[in-house]
Amino acid sequence: MADEFTPTWEDVARIYGRKIYNFAYRLTGNPDDAADLVQEVLLRVRKGLTSYVPGSFDGWLWRITRNAFLDGVRKQKRRPTSPLPDDDRSILGASPSPDEVLASVRLSEDIQSALLKVPLDFRECVVLCDVVGLTYEEIADAIEAPVGTVRSRIHRGRKMLRELLTWPV
Amino acid sequence: MARVKSSESCDTAELVSAYLDAQLLPGELDIVATHLADCAGCIAEFHRLKEIRAALRTLPFFEMPERLLPDTHLGEQLSAYLDGQLATTEHGFVLSHLEFCTDCRLELHELDAARTAIRSLPGLEPPEFLSVHRERIENERWTRRRIATAGVGIAAAAAVVFVTFGPSPDVGGNLDINQFFDQHQVRVSVESGIGVLPAVAPIAVTP
Repeated sequence: MADEFTPTWEDVARIYGRKIYNFAYRLTGNPDDAADLVQEVLLRVRKGLTSYVPGSFDGWLWRITRNAFLDGVRKQKRRPTSPLPDDDRSILGASPSPDEVLASVRLSEDIQSALLKVPLDFRECVVLCDVVGLTYEEIADAIEAPVGTVRSRIHRGRKMLRELLTWPV
Repeated sequence: MARVKSSESCDTAELVSAYLDAQLLPGELDIVATHLADCAGCIAEFHRLKEIRAALRTLPFFEMPERLLPDTHLGEQLSAYLDGQLATTEHGFVLSHLEFCTDCRLELHELDAARTAIRSLPGLEPPEFLSVHRERIENERWTRRRIATAGVGIAAAAAVVFVTFGPSPDVGGNLDINQFFDQHQVRVSVESGIGVLPAVAPIAVTP
């Protein structure tokens, strides 16, 4: 059977939304930024699907996700904002979900804050590998870099993390 | 005895993570495995990286806020999925959707039960009087087929006769559509009840 299936943006939202959200959350450390990124990615996917040529869908999607994230980072650099401390989030009326409560476990917090200190190039490769679960080749396709670069970044990113974490893992 | 030195001074240092992830290229695996057996620094590094990798992989995986989810379900894709009629990618999408969508999983079970029930219906022999009807239908079908075959033969013969004895372009049999149209318009103006465009255009034009 010919395999020319192109997902709708609803498919993408349902199947990849969670992965995109977690990718964004681990890169930004902020659930609101993560939700904004998912929305932006879905918008770009909706526009892009009209001209999408069936091929490596994952590569295409992660390139969009990464570009949307980098665009967000650039915008934020132009308009620097100081993030609210976690306790002040209740002012905005956001009630923590069970998953967010889980996230407050000490281990996750330590890893998350260490992740945010790792330079972005290394952080994104580590997150795509260990959080999203992509292979080195898929990451190389997503960040448009050679596999050797991905391999080096993952290794160095993990080493930086290990050095940043003061507790015995 | 294993050598003790900084793992970074080893050529294979950067390959340790790829080794952990089973992402080494062909030929590299032996090099790294042999080196690890002999280098205490790299073995220690291997264990440190293994720990941090395990910690990263146990980070909680959050649900996406519901407001970002479209409220659509698989619908008719479910039946096609049950019947094995989906292309590979679409099949993968359906599987992924079913992993998290309880509603669609329930619907799939219901459809599967209905499909099984229908397929397990016993095959029944037709009642006696139906076999008489069936014979008559078969006979009629056979007669119709013979008439149709004879019709095709007659039409073919007529076509051969027409090609052989019909008007030839050399004797003024050219079908000039403008001329025909003019003639026809004249006839329309004389005889009422004739449309400008006939339902079926005549094939041959008399000289």
